Amino acid sequence: MSSDPAPSVNPFEFNACEETIHEIYHFLDGELTEEKRRVIETHLSQCQPCDSVKRFEVELRQVVADRCREEVPKDLRERIARLINHELDNASSADGAGPRREGNASAH
Amino acid sequence: MADQSRFGEEAMVYADSLYAYALRMTRNPPDAEDLLQETFLKGFRSYASFTEGTNLRAWLFRIMTNSYINLYRTRQRRPDEIGVDDIERLALFRELGSPSAEDSALEHFTDIEVKMALESLPEQNRNAVLLADVEGFSYKEIAEITEVPIGTVMSRLSRGRAALERALADFVKHRVENGASA
Repeated sequence: MSSDPAPSVNPFEFNACEETIHEIYHFLDGELTEEKRRVIETHLSQCQPCDSVKRFEVELRQVVADRCREEVPKDLRERIARLINHELDNASSADGAGPRREGNASAH
Repeated sequence: MADQSRFGEEAMVYADSLYAYALRMTRNPPDAEDLLQETFLKGFRSYASFTEGTNLRAWLFRIMTNSYINLYRTRQRRPDEIGVDDIERLALFRELGSPSAEDSALEHFTDIEVKMALESLPEQNRNAVLLADVEGFSYKEIAEITEVPIGTVMSRLSRGRAALERALADFVKHRVENGASA
């Protein structure tokens, strides 16, 4: 581990770009306080390089989400629906409400 | 107390996104099908404990995450989380430069590349990224789904997103190398 350079934090040399890039995910996730969100938003409106990072990250998320869409195969969907109906029948007969199906409802 | 007879109808709405999550976690369709089925069965059986009007989608994702851990976690030999905080951030942005709005290099990524990049991430980071960036869950929801504190969600997400950019940037590099040699 390299020794921490520990930059002296001078409130008058607040690095707005660094801060913005550091908070960019939280900003895009909508998870900043209103006050912080405004600070970042103001900086983005005035700083083209930071704004291009923001736009890039927004688009990346969209591309990732779009590429990951899936559809449940029809036969799997039907199988799950059947399973749930079967469970439901078992549950209602266990409740004493009586089997809703003829078939294999065991009568003992 | 939620009415079990309505479970199928209410939960089926989320089947496609649950299936996508299952596919990314298990990396293969047969396991993803089993996981989806298991999630619906468990959901049905414990639906009585679900409070109606609360977040059914997050509740189902939580069941799926737990089922995945129970069914498949032991098979996993790779590290399940990125442990250091000093991975390069914004690797893909650096690789592609800052494209103008009309020139979108990101559109060139294929489904397979994005899926491979996601699936290459350590499990905990990948799940956080999937839940946030694909499913749009909030930090609080992800914390509930994965049963960890919000701070843990944030660090998993931040490292996961950095690693995802790194993985995608590697595809671009290979593409450039192959293109240059042609």
